[in-house]
Amino acid sequence: MSLEFLSAFKFLKKETFLHNLDPRAKLLLAITYTISALLFQEIIPLLLLLITLFPVIIIGRLFKKWLESVKGMSFLYIFIIVLNTLFINENGLSFAIAMILRISIMISAFSLFFLTVDPNDLALSLISMKIPYEYAFSFSLAFRFVPTIAIETQNIIDAQQSRGYEMQKKGIINQIRNLFPLLVPLIVSSIKRAFNVAEALESRSFGSKKGRTFYYTIRYSLKDWIFSLYLIFLLTFSIYVKINFMLMPLWFRWSLPL
Amino acid sequence: MKDINSLPLIMVHDVDYVYSNGTIALKQVSLNIKKGEFIAIMGQNGAGKTTLIRTFNGLIRPTKGSIYLEGENIDSKTIATISKKVGVIFQNPMHQLFSNTLEDEIKFSLKSLNLDKEEIQIKVDQILKEFDLEKYRKRSPLNLSGGESKKLAIASIICRDPDILVFDEPTLGQDAKEINFFLGLIKNELKRGKTIIMVTHNIEFTIEHAPRIILMGGGQIIADGPTQSIFTNEFLISKSSLIMPQIYLFKKELQKIGITIPKEVIRESEIISFLDNYLESKSTI
Repeated sequence: MSLEFLSAFKFLKKETFLHNLDPRAKLLLAITYTISALLFQEIIPLLLLLITLFPVIIIGRLFKKWLESVKGMSFLYIFIIVLNTLFINENGLSFAIAMILRISIMISAFSLFFLTVDPNDLALSLISMKIPYEYAFSFSLAFRFVPTIAIETQNIIDAQQSRGYEMQKKGIINQIRNLFPLLVPLIVSSIKRAFNVAEALESRSFGSKKGRTFYYTIRYSLKDWIFSLYLIFLLTFSIYVKINFMLMPLWFRWSLPL
Repeated sequence: MKDINSLPLIMVHDVDYVYSNGTIALKQVSLNIKKGEFIAIMGQNGAGKTTLIRTFNGLIRPTKGSIYLEGENIDSKTIATISKKVGVIFQNPMHQLFSNTLEDEIKFSLKSLNLDKEEIQIKVDQILKEFDLEKYRKRSPLNLSGGESKKLAIASIICRDPDILVFDEPTLGQDAKEINFFLGLIKNELKRGKTIIMVTHNIEFTIEHAPRIILMGGGQIIADGPTQSIFTNEFLISKSSLIMPQIYLFKKELQKIGITIPKEVIRESEIISFLDNYLESKSTI
């Protein structure tokens, strides 16, 4: 198993409309799409929501990376289909497909956020939202460690496989038990790294001064306001559709006969 | 049909490896490793050393070319199958330790070998004793010191009795006592007919103990040969961004005062014995 798909969550510097948007607008994108996706359990509205993401992906020139992130989660999709078809008697397959679409929307929205937001800008935008510097810094630091953790996870998998550990085992219990050889070393090394980083920061007098000044500043420009208004409209429209769902045309409420 | 003993144990044939981001890690790498050899793979960071050893047990599959183990292409074999013959010991022991006790940690490595309970227990007792870890058998592996956890990581691979042992930076961060323990261990494994491959930056250790060196740079093999010929070639050493060994510089200084030590003499013990003989011959005159 390869965790290379996690690179689809690593910031990639590019000059596009999406990359140049304010990080707060992109955070709003991730939140809007997550809430909208959680509102529906039916295939058509979720599919339409996913389709509305495509222009954003294309504008950001991120189609290949997006495809990697979706492909990387394929094992989860299979898991969802198998579990739902086995355990839900009525409309199990329809529900499974809807859940796959819901997860795809959420992954896509967050993948877009991580791919286009520079961790430094993220800290700045959080501070501008009146979040204390310590918390904003911690958040951006955690964000910066995503690719490091991905590499570390791959190293752990390699080390365990070198002594006969098999990733794919039959049965859910075995699958869960199989996670321990990966999770324990990962958690231990993450905690150790957190302590090391904290010590390194403290030894450089982190937090000694309360008031901070910043070399770079960020501002919400016209394009950010337009993009945010579009997102707010989308969220409002989704809520409206959800409230009046039974009044929607039949094709909109369609589901598979299975 | 070819006799299996006449074949190289590992044959790397024209291997390329390109990472998904386009980085070329290995480029036309070919080499043969015979049974019972002790080889050091050296080179600067990013030279492709670790990528190369990861291909030996199938953790990564070459983009081009093939790896043969005892004459058989490993391409279609699973990592679980290959790792019974090729044991790779990684740099960071904390990447593999997770069990509640040291005993369980070793048992986990033995599980996939289809042994019965008694055999597993015998092997666990034996390996803990061999590695001087018996006294910690009920302790959590997470509470061990750096050196001890490295020992446990090695033990958890050696207990599987693979024919080939591949170490990634085994002496890194180890004190003199721990390095000596490691030396004793590899000597013992070599006596048992095992093949040892070691990725290292430790020049002094390599000169003293490894008979063959593979020098890598930019994903390619720059040189492959006996330690004496490689560590006396200033061009090769500078090309692979290594520094000349202390012993070589010492020889150069001696040469300035008129003591010329033969080129092939590079080990500490050899130089001491050469100087003993030299001084003895001088005093007789």
